[in-house]
Amino acid sequence: MLRMLKTGLILVSLFVSIVVEAQVNFTVSGYVRDAATGEELIGATVAIMNSGAGTTSNEYGYYSLSMKSDFYTLVYAYLGYGSVSRPIQLNNDMVFNVELTESTLELEEVTIRADRDNANITKLETGSNRLAIQTIRKIPAFLGEVDIIKAIQLLPGVQVTSEGSSGFSVRGGGRDQNLILLDEATVYNASHLIGFFSVFNNDAIKDVKLYKGDIPASAGGRLASLLDVRMKEGNRKQFSASGGIGTIASRLTLEGPIVSEKVSFLLSARRTYADLFLKFSGNDAINQNRLYFFDLNGKVNYIINDRNRIYFSSYYGKDVFANDFAGMFFGNRTFTMRWNHLFTKKLFSNFTLINSHYFYDLGTPEGSSQYFNWMSVLNDYGVKGDFIWYPSPEHTFRFGGWATYHGIKPGTIEAEQGDITMTSVLPHNHSLDNGIYFSGESDLGEKFSIRYGLRYSMFHNVGLATVYEYDDEYQVTDSILYEKGDFFNSYHGLEPRFAANYILNDQQSLKASYARTRQYIQLASNSSAGTPLEIWYPSSPNIKPQISDQVSVGYFRNFMDHSLETSVELYYKMMSNSIDFRDHAQLLLNPRLEGEIRIGEATSYGAEIYIKYEKEGFSGWISYTLSRTIREFPDINEGNPYPAPYDKPHDLALVLTYDVSPRISVAANWIYSTGIPYTMPAGRYEVMGNILPVYTGRNEYRLPDYHRLDLSFTIRGKQKPGKRWRGEWNFSAYNAYARKNIWTLNFVQDEANPDVTYAEMTYLFSIVPAITYNFKF
Amino acid sequence: MAWFKTYRNYTLILLFTLLIASCTERIDIELDSTYQRLVVQGAVTTDSIRHRIILTTSSDYFANMPSPRVSGAVVELSFNDQTLTLAENMTIPGLYETAEAFRGVPGTSYELDISNVDVDEDGLYDDYHAESTMPGGAELHSIALRYFTTPIISGYQVLMYASHPVDQRDRFGFRIWKNKVLLTDSLSSYTVFSDDLFDSGDLPGFPVGFLSDDVPSQAVHPGDTITFELESIDQAYYDFVIDAQLEMVGNIPLFSGPSANIRSNISNGGMGIFAAYSILRASTIHEP
Repeated sequence: MLRMLKTGLILVSLFVSIVVEAQVNFTVSGYVRDAATGEELIGATVAIMNSGAGTTSNEYGYYSLSMKSDFYTLVYAYLGYGSVSRPIQLNNDMVFNVELTESTLELEEVTIRADRDNANITKLETGSNRLAIQTIRKIPAFLGEVDIIKAIQLLPGVQVTSEGSSGFSVRGGGRDQNLILLDEATVYNASHLIGFFSVFNNDAIKDVKLYKGDIPASAGGRLASLLDVRMKEGNRKQFSASGGIGTIASRLTLEGPIVSEKVSFLLSARRTYADLFLKFSGNDAINQNRLYFFDLNGKVNYIINDRNRIYFSSYYGKDVFANDFAGMFFGNRTFTMRWNHLFTKKLFSNFTLINSHYFYDLGTPEGSSQYFNWMSVLNDYGVKGDFIWYPSPEHTFRFGGWATYHGIKPGTIEAEQGDITMTSVLPHNHSLDNGIYFSGESDLGEKFSIRYGLRYSMFHNVGLATVYEYDDEYQVTDSILYEKGDFFNSYHGLEPRFAANYILNDQQSLKASYARTRQYIQLASNSSAGTPLEIWYPSSPNIKPQISDQVSVGYFRNFMDHSLETSVELYYKMMSNSIDFRDHAQLLLNPRLEGEIRIGEATSYGAEIYIKYEKEGFSGWISYTLSRTIREFPDINEGNPYPAPYDKPHDLALVLTYDVSPRISVAANWIYSTGIPYTMPAGRYEVMGNILPVYTGRNEYRLPDYHRLDLSFTIRGKQKPGKRWRGEWNFSAYNAYARKNIWTLNFVQDEANPDVTYAEMTYLFSIVPAITYNFKF
Repeated sequence: MAWFKTYRNYTLILLFTLLIASCTERIDIELDSTYQRLVVQGAVTTDSIRHRIILTTSSDYFANMPSPRVSGAVVELSFNDQTLTLAENMTIPGLYETAEAFRGVPGTSYELDISNVDVDEDGLYDDYHAESTMPGGAELHSIALRYFTTPIISGYQVLMYASHPVDQRDRFGFRIWKNKVLLTDSLSSYTVFSDDLFDSGDLPGFPVGFLSDDVPSQAVHPGDTITFELESIDQAYYDFVIDAQLEMVGNIPLFSGPSANIRSNISNGGMGIFAAYSILRASTIHEP
C-alpha cells in the first residue's frame, strides 16, 4: 500500500512539474460577490470569452486565472444572477473583485446575456446538483417551512426514506451514508420533530450542493453522498433583517457589517410553537406537553487584509418533548473556525478547526420518585488543511489533509427505582480518522477535461475500550480490554476518484466518473424513519469499513438556447462490507451491539433523467429515476437477495414555479414513487392467545405506490422607491388532493374476535394547509 | 426490561403527540399462501403439576379460524435418563399431558421429541426436537405496592425484592395475579427482563408491573391480594417473547426494523417454544 502511495505521489509530482513548466505570466484573481450583500458566491463561473477556458469560484468565492500577457474579456456568471463581462489588459497581476446582481434586481447597464449558460455541459461534475436557495424558497413547503432537505429529495437519484422524513437515500444508500456538512462540520442528525423538518433554517443558508457519486477527493467518510451546506457570511454592506411568521414556526435573521467591508455578522433564530396549540386540548396527556424545537445560527467573518480572512460559525439546535413527568431532548451543535490565507495569488489555502456535537437525553426529572435518565453524546474534534493551486486556466490542483477524533458515549443510564440506584455506562468508543488527498482538474484541449483524485484515509480505534470476540453464532466468547490511549486497531485505504467530460459541442457533452468511498462510522438503525435515539458506532476489529465503488456515465444536452437542460445519467454501484442487522435486532442500550450486525454485499444501479427549464418567470424540473438496490447477506433472508429498504424502482418528481406577475407566484410539486419494500406475513399461528405471523422472506412485498401534490401561492407587497421593507404572504397546501399515503402497515388481531386478523394502514397526513408571512428589510 | 419498556412507552406517547393528525384504517391486502408448520407450546416448571404440550399448525394469514390442532403425535419428554410419553387429552385434541404430576428441577436439561406428524402434508412423517435447561439460583424475598401517578397514568407499581447470583447472566419472566386471577395471561402482557445492564445481584424494590386505576381488572382496592411470580427462564424463551412482542407491537417506522419470523427452539422448521423455567412466588395484601 505504501509503495502504491509512493508511486502515486511520484507520478503526481511529475505531472505537476510538467504543468509548472507550462505556467504563464500573470494572474487575475479576486472574489465573486453578491452586489446587494457582499456575500461571496460559490461556484460562479469565470470564463475567458472566445477561448472555452475558465474557472469557477471556490467555496469561499475566490477565483484565480493565470495567463499570458494579452487582452481578454472575462465573463462572470452565477445561477440566478445576471452575468457581468470585464475586458482586461493583463500585463501584470490584477485583482478583480466582481459583484453580480440577482436576476430579479438586475440593472440593464451592467449585465449582459451570459454566454456560459451551458455550465451543465462544460462542468466536469457528474451526479451533482446545486440548488439555489432562491429556487428552494419557491418550492411548496410542508407547513410553510422552507426546507433544503425536502428540496434535495426532489432531485434525481434521491429518495425520501419515510413519509414526511428528512432522511434521504442517495442511489440506494442508507440514511447514514450521506455526509451532511454545515460549514464543514458534520451534522449527525439533520432532523427536527422526528424528521418533519430539517435543522437548516433557510434564512441562514447561502449554498447547497449535493454530490451523489463524483464526490470530491477532499471529502469522504460516507459511501453515498455529500451534502455541502454553507451558511451566509452576513451582509457586508448594510444592516438587514429577514424572517417569517408561520403556521408552526417563526424565524428572524439579522445580519450586517460590524466594520464596513471588513467585519460582518449573521445571527439567525427559529423556533416552533406547536406546544402553544397543545394547550387548547382538553386532554391533560396532551396539553401539559412542551413540544418545540429551536435553531440558532451565528457567524462572524473578518477580512484582515487581502491575503487573510477568518470565519467563526456555529449552529445550535435542540428539540424538546417534555411534560412534568418525563422528557426527551436532543440536538446538534457545530462550531467551525476557518482561516483563509493566500500564499500567492495562485495558491489559496484554508485551515479549519471543527467541532460537531450530537446528544440526546431522555428521562424523568432529577429528584422525582421514579428518577431515570438515559443520555448519549457524540463529539467530533477535527482539523483540516486545504490548498487550491491555480497554475493556469487549464489546471487546478487541490490537496490537503485532515484529522478527526470521534468520541461516542452510546449510553449512560442512571435510575432510582425504589431502593435501587443504578448507573450503567455502555462502553465508550474513541476513534481517529485522518488522511491526505490530492486532486487535479485539467483541460486537455478545448473539448476534453478530466479530474483525477486520490484520497488516502486511515482509521484507528483508540482505547479505553472493551472489544468482544464472537463465535459463528454471534455469541460472545471472550473480551479484551485495551488501555486508554492504545491504538489497538487500524484500517486504511486508497480512494481513487476520476471524472471526465467530453464536450461534443456547445449544447451537449458526455461525462463519466468513478469513485471509491470508504465509510468508517455508521448509524445503529434498521428503521426507515429513524429516531433521535439512534447511535453512531465505528469500525472495529469486528466491523470492517464499508467500501463503495461507483461508476457513472452521463449524456447532457441543452435545448432552446440553454433554457432547457436535460441529462441522462447511468450508474452502477457495488458496496462491500455492507451492514445490515439481524432479525429483531436490539440496537438500543446493547453493550454487545456488534453481535447484532451482519455483513454482506449490496448492489445499486439505475438511470436518472433530469429535465430542467428556466426562463423568465417560469421554471421547474422533472426528475425521474429508474433504479434497483439489492442486498445479499449470508445471515439474512436465508442468504437470498432482497431489496434494500429504500429500493423504489420508479421515482418521479415534477416541480414547477411560475411568476404570474412581479407580485404573484404559484408553484406546484407532484411526486410519485413505487411503494417501499415491505415484509408481510404469509401465515400465522397462535401462542398463548396471540396470533403471531409467519414470514416467507424479507421485503418481498411492497406498499402501495406513493404520490402527492403540493401547491403554493405567494403574493408580495407593492414595492415603492425608498421602501426597504419587502413582505410576502405564502399560502401552501401539502398533499393537496389528500392522498392517504401509507406511513406504516400493520397486521392486527381483532380484539372482539381473536381468531380474525386484518391489515391496518396508518397515514400521517391528509391535506395540510399553511400560511406564512415572510419579510425582509 | 420492564422499566425500559415503561420509559419507551412514555417516549412513544410524547412522540405520538406529534402525530395526532395521523389516522388508521383497514385496508385490503393480498397475501400469498405458505405451507403449514408445526407449532409447539409447552413448558416444564418447578410446580408439581401434570406438564402439558400443545401442538397446533400454522395457517394462512387471513384464515380467520382457530389454529388447527395436531392429533396422533408421539410426544416424549426426556430428562435425567428417563423418558415420559405424554398422552393426548381425550377431550381436547392436540393437548398432550404427562401421566403424573412432577416437579422440574433447576439445572436439569429437558428434551422434547415429537414424531408421527405430517403437518406439511407431503405424505412423510417429520420429527421435531427441542431442549431447554431450567435456570435457577434466584431468590424472591417479598413484594410491595407503591402508588404512582402522572398526568397520563395512575395506579400501583408492583415492586420486587429479590436477588440472584452476580456472576450469572439471568433472564426472568414476570407474572402477576390479583385475587388469584392471572392479569398477565397473554404474550403481550407477559414481561421478560434481562440483567445485562445490572452489575449488582440485588434487586431491592425493582418495579415488575403496573396495575392501572383505569383498568377495572387491574385496579387495586383494599383487601386485594396481589401475587407475583418470578420465573427464571432460559435465553431461547426470552428471545421468543421479545421477538413475539416486537411483532405484536407492529411496525412503527421510527423504531421498527423489518418484520421477521420469531425465533424458536423447535427443530426442523417448527415454531413456538418449549421452555423449562423455575418459579418463585410472593404475595401481598393491599392495606387501606
